[in-house]
Amino acid sequence: MSIELKGVHRAFGQNQVLRGLDLDVQDGETLSIIGFSGAGKSVILKHMVGLIRPDAGEAHVDGKNVNALGLEALNQVRRDVGYVFQFAALFDSMNIGDNVSMGLRRIPEMYEEEIVSRVHECLALVDLEGIEDRYPSELSGGMLKRAGLARAIATRPKYLLYDEPTTGLDPVTVTVIDRLIVRMKEELGVTGIVITHDMESAYRISDRIAMLHEGRIRTCGTVDEIKASDDHLLRSFIEGRPELMEKAS
Amino acid sequence: MNGFVLTPVEYVGRWSIKRVRTLGKAGYLTTAALRALKNFEIWGPRVATQLVSVGVASVPIALFIAAFTGIVLAINASYTLTGAVPIYLVGAMVGKSMIMELGPVLTGLSLAGRVGASSAAELGTMRVTEQIDALETLAYDPLAYLVVPRVLAGMLMFPVVIVLASAFGILWGWAASLTLLDMSSAEFVRGLRLFFEPWDVQYAAIKSMSFGLIVTGVGSFYGFHAKGGAGGVGVATTRAVVVSSMLILVLDAFWAMVLL
Repeated sequence: MSIELKGVHRAFGQNQVLRGLDLDVQDGETLSIIGFSGAGKSVILKHMVGLIRPDAGEAHVDGKNVNALGLEALNQVRRDVGYVFQFAALFDSMNIGDNVSMGLRRIPEMYEEEIVSRVHECLALVDLEGIEDRYPSELSGGMLKRAGLARAIATRPKYLLYDEPTTGLDPVTVTVIDRLIVRMKEELGVTGIVITHDMESAYRISDRIAMLHEGRIRTCGTVDEIKASDDHLLRSFIEGRPELMEKAS
Repeated sequence: MNGFVLTPVEYVGRWSIKRVRTLGKAGYLTTAALRALKNFEIWGPRVATQLVSVGVASVPIALFIAAFTGIVLAINASYTLTGAVPIYLVGAMVGKSMIMELGPVLTGLSLAGRVGASSAAELGTMRVTEQIDALETLAYDPLAYLVVPRVLAGMLMFPVVIVLASAFGILWGWAASLTLLDMSSAEFVRGLRLFFEPWDVQYAAIKSMSFGLIVTGVGSFYGFHAKGGAGGVGVATTRAVVVSSMLILVLDAFWAMVLL
């Protein structure tokens, strides 16, 4: 078991977002988390890297309780976890080369030549060769997402967390990103956790799909199991039919 | 009825809780920033950039303000003193006021607008676009990377800019005295030297250093805790300028009471 959340509760003011959430992610799999907007999907990812601390419960990465770690130990865990942000979160004052190399510069044993070569390699892996000198403001939405992915994989993490990697992109770019996610798993062997609203995308990239609802995982299963599920709430989400939600409640 | 009685009480209570919470956050940020000092490998390489951005880039606006302050001081002093005391005291008033009060405070206030606002806006934008979260996931301490170099640069460069601005203001006061007030250079310099103490410059430098700490610290604090989108960044920026301007005036009075 590689990443595990146990009984996580988290509230923001009066809004209780997570209510005893349990989730485990197996080594080498790609798990997609689906759910309605505002359900707290991104909050789950942020717990996995210690960006948010739970009010109760625990988040474990490789058996280590993320919330009990000191900063040094937490940073060690973070080197094993790449995070692809929803809007890329590239540093807009830096060019793409510097953005991708940021994580590498925190590894003391890496020399400058190795860093330059790794940046080149990661950009090539996401089909963005030769854009090291360009700035985030000069890139399209799809390129930004891919550059964000290049930055996330630069330290060769064991886990990749994708926060809505295809939202707002055209269908062709969505397919390109989906293929990259599959490629990350097949070529780099990373375990992936993907937050998405896009069911076609989820079917293409996932080994398992979990649905978050009312602060807990309501359903979790393989793609075939999810497709065959007769849970009205899940069907309402998948098919975009609000009338099914009434049957679910 | 209860509503009428309780509403103002509730309002004061909520206002107080908010202030206490802000103080708590500020205390936490200060402690964490002090702890981040040990990460020299993160903040060290960024200090030079901040010295330029906080200090060198602020010189033109500081000199502009100081020049006109010096001119007005000379004219006001002449208007007030003519016929009452010897005219060479214009030099004393311009020198003393520029070095001890107007140089540090007016430059501090203008830099609260320039440096404080830019720190709050930059960090606020980084917060709402998740760039600060990204820093953390890349194993950077965001306080060491963003706050420590800014605050150090503020503490180092504010005294330099303010002393430079004060000297420039005196120079323009001198020029105004010669050209507009029918004074001789010797008279102005005589007044300038009459009450000058080297301690005055040290006093100005100490004040300026504290202004640098406040402006960069408050700007970073509000930027770091910005919420929402563009609106949140706007609120953070406004608060940074207002609060650091108020604290500059409070500190000014504090140093006068403690050091003079």
